[in-house]
Amino acid sequence: MAETGSAKAPTPGGFKRLIERYPFLPALGILIILLALNGIFSPNSLSYRSLTGLVSTYLALIMLAIAQTYVIFAGDIDLSAGAVVSLVNVVIIVLMEKMGGGGLAVFAALGVGVLAGLVCGLINGIVVAGLRLQAIVATFATSIFFTGFALWVMPVAGTPAPALFWRTYGSKLLGLPFVFYIVAALAILLFVISRTRLALQLLSVGDDAQAAYQTGLPVTPIRIKGYLLCGLFSALAAFCVTGDTASGDPLVGGKMTLFSVAAVVLGGSALAGGWGTVVGSLLGALTIGLINSLVFFIGTPSEWQNFVQGLAILVVLMAGILVGRRARA
Amino acid sequence: MAKLSLSGVSKAYGATLALRRGDLDIEAGEVHVLLGSNGSGKSTLCKIVAGSVRPDKGEVLIDGRPVTISGPQAARALGIGIFYQELSLSEHRSVAENICLADLPGKSGIFVDRAALEARASRYIALFAGVAGEGFSAEALVGNLRADQRQLVEIMKALSSEAPVIIFDEPTSALDRAQVDRFFEILRQLKTEGRGIIFISHRMDEITAIGDRATVIRDGETIRTLKLSETDPAEMIRLMVGENSDLPSAEHELPAAGPSAGAPLLSVRNLSGKGFRDVSFDVLPGEILGFGGLHGQGQSAVLRALFGASSISGGSLELSGRSLAVANPRSAIRSGLAYVSGDRGRDGVIQGRPIVENAAPIHYLKERLLLARPSALRDKVLPALGALHTKFASLAHPIGSLSGGNQQKIVIARWLIERPEVLLLDDPTKGIDLAAKADLFNLIRQLAAEGMAILLYSSEDAELLGNANRILVFNGGAVTRELTGADRTRYNLYQAAYEAA
Repeated sequence: MAETGSAKAPTPGGFKRLIERYPFLPALGILIILLALNGIFSPNSLSYRSLTGLVSTYLALIMLAIAQTYVIFAGDIDLSAGAVVSLVNVVIIVLMEKMGGGGLAVFAALGVGVLAGLVCGLINGIVVAGLRLQAIVATFATSIFFTGFALWVMPVAGTPAPALFWRTYGSKLLGLPFVFYIVAALAILLFVISRTRLALQLLSVGDDAQAAYQTGLPVTPIRIKGYLLCGLFSALAAFCVTGDTASGDPLVGGKMTLFSVAAVVLGGSALAGGWGTVVGSLLGALTIGLINSLVFFIGTPSEWQNFVQGLAILVVLMAGILVGRRARA
Repeated sequence: MAKLSLSGVSKAYGATLALRRGDLDIEAGEVHVLLGSNGSGKSTLCKIVAGSVRPDKGEVLIDGRPVTISGPQAARALGIGIFYQELSLSEHRSVAENICLADLPGKSGIFVDRAALEARASRYIALFAGVAGEGFSAEALVGNLRADQRQLVEIMKALSSEAPVIIFDEPTSALDRAQVDRFFEILRQLKTEGRGIIFISHRMDEITAIGDRATVIRDGETIRTLKLSETDPAEMIRLMVGENSDLPSAEHELPAAGPSAGAPLLSVRNLSGKGFRDVSFDVLPGEILGFGGLHGQGQSAVLRALFGASSISGGSLELSGRSLAVANPRSAIRSGLAYVSGDRGRDGVIQGRPIVENAAPIHYLKERLLLARPSALRDKVLPALGALHTKFASLAHPIGSLSGGNQQKIVIARWLIERPEVLLLDDPTKGIDLAAKADLFNLIRQLAAEGMAILLYSSEDAELLGNANRILVFNGGAVTRELTGADRTRYNLYQAAYEAA
């Protein structure tokens, strides 16, 4: 079978090798172009202050895109990620309020929030990997379930977060915005996770689940761990949402779910699994943020903003695919 | 004491018995060859040992102790490594990562120890230094490698298990001479270390070069184990074939009609594509041309390419003397070709739809129908179904309500409303019962008698021997032998299939 193709040695060109090593490069290029466009239409948008605002607004989406990436690595998907964000958001708000809003209360509530995210991840993992239900439909169902639970915890939006919490999120530490410290901590965390056996195993499962099983990898536990990571980062996304909006809303995360999937794809990961980087997803989430701000800065009338935004995401997606295809050819 | 021993192992998939009775003893320090034709149960036996298939019955002993192999992970823990025929690689991971994937070297529990991973992988990569070819390195992504290089990675992966028993299920099918020689050197080294090796190959020269003992499997049963030093290829082939091996098949089952002489209906010249190369043949009207040989030697690939379902990279086609270009199945159908695949689920049946809809799509395509009256359609469909003795309750029943054999009849019937000139049959009787098979072959012979040219690939050699006027034996993507007249014997077929490509 090899004979017909064996004359051509597999020596990928420099560009292809670069893309293979750093699959997020197209996303980075697009991000730089968008930054430049933002700068042209509104020089003010590149100011330190605006960029800080951009990061603190889209940090939640970045976290959620990263959450989504780990399940997509394994060829799964989590359509409940946004609902988990809502659930964790209302849970920590209610807890902080009940416990008085002091420093201890905040930390205890955050601990419970992480736990809630992990439990949601575990439920998704058991339903999808353990019971072998279709990931798309099963996590869609759990998203409704989680939303229902969030509405039970807090039936109407509006309970404010304690001032200590959101002031910290928006504060400055040693002259640098607090969110930058979060980004730095996130970078370290992502680096650490990328070195784990789990990251490699998730990608192998996503590449070819049957091959991974035959190799002797515990495929089901690996997929469940992917959902656990997703739950963890969804909880972190909820903390960022809470810091940014300073209030509880049982429906706040719902619309973020598909944005997180889009961010992963914009970041160069394969939706079928086995191929991608978390850095790409981070860049993909920022890309979506920049598109939104660009749509605003070019002065799009409000009734056309969704239209232009959707169009822009399509264009960026196409650009990424064209670059990727050239690299693969 | 045998390192590994199986007794009375069986496995059924639904109604088909993949392995009837497997008995096998692997000694320390031997290369044990499994011999058998297509679908005889070799791979099933290997997968049972490797844990990826659970046996229904039977006993597995390792070093004399009975064990239950619950999965691939358990098999590894019990000291069994395997090279999978279909490979078990992650395309987007590097060579080094693939080699170590089953047992990633760890650091403080959760991290991958990259240095240890590179070091371990490089040990196995070094074994094939010089023969692995251009572009092969520890960092190369498996997806960028050639087929032979991927096979080397799978070999390295199996070796890295360092298991006392290692199974190699057709490890050499894409390798070149130098690579095979190196691989055999490694196997000899493993023998001296006292490992037990199970080896499957379809090249007789390799079997005699490396094997110590051979177990012959026929129709899912292990027939006999013999020492290779005390036998010869002819005897091994006779054992694989079974009784009556010397009789030309034509004597017990003659094809009903021979081809009518004259100009060929379909001429294929130097056809090349993915999975096959330089294939040439002519088919006369009324002829049944068989494609034989072991699984996956290019037979299906040629048929699919002729039907436009996969691309052709070189060569030419003529239909009734006129040049033929098939860009896609639609154009192939319009020019008079028909294709029936054994993989009904993927290529034939429209799941969940009524029988009548399953029988009509080609009629719609050829007549360019947009709308059809149910009663008119019924008149078209019923005679076609009748010709095949199809049993069904009503045309409105879903196709899923039928047995596999009757589903396949419906799929074939859809081609009979407007008769094609050339019928391509790609292992059409896979998984269907004997009665339906008999009906099918009666129909095929009848169609040939009416002047249709038929290309038949079958994984069951008896079907080829009993129905084809001529048989082209495929090996490694090329036609290596043509069997006609009295040469069409099981013996010749196996011999041609097993000879070095």
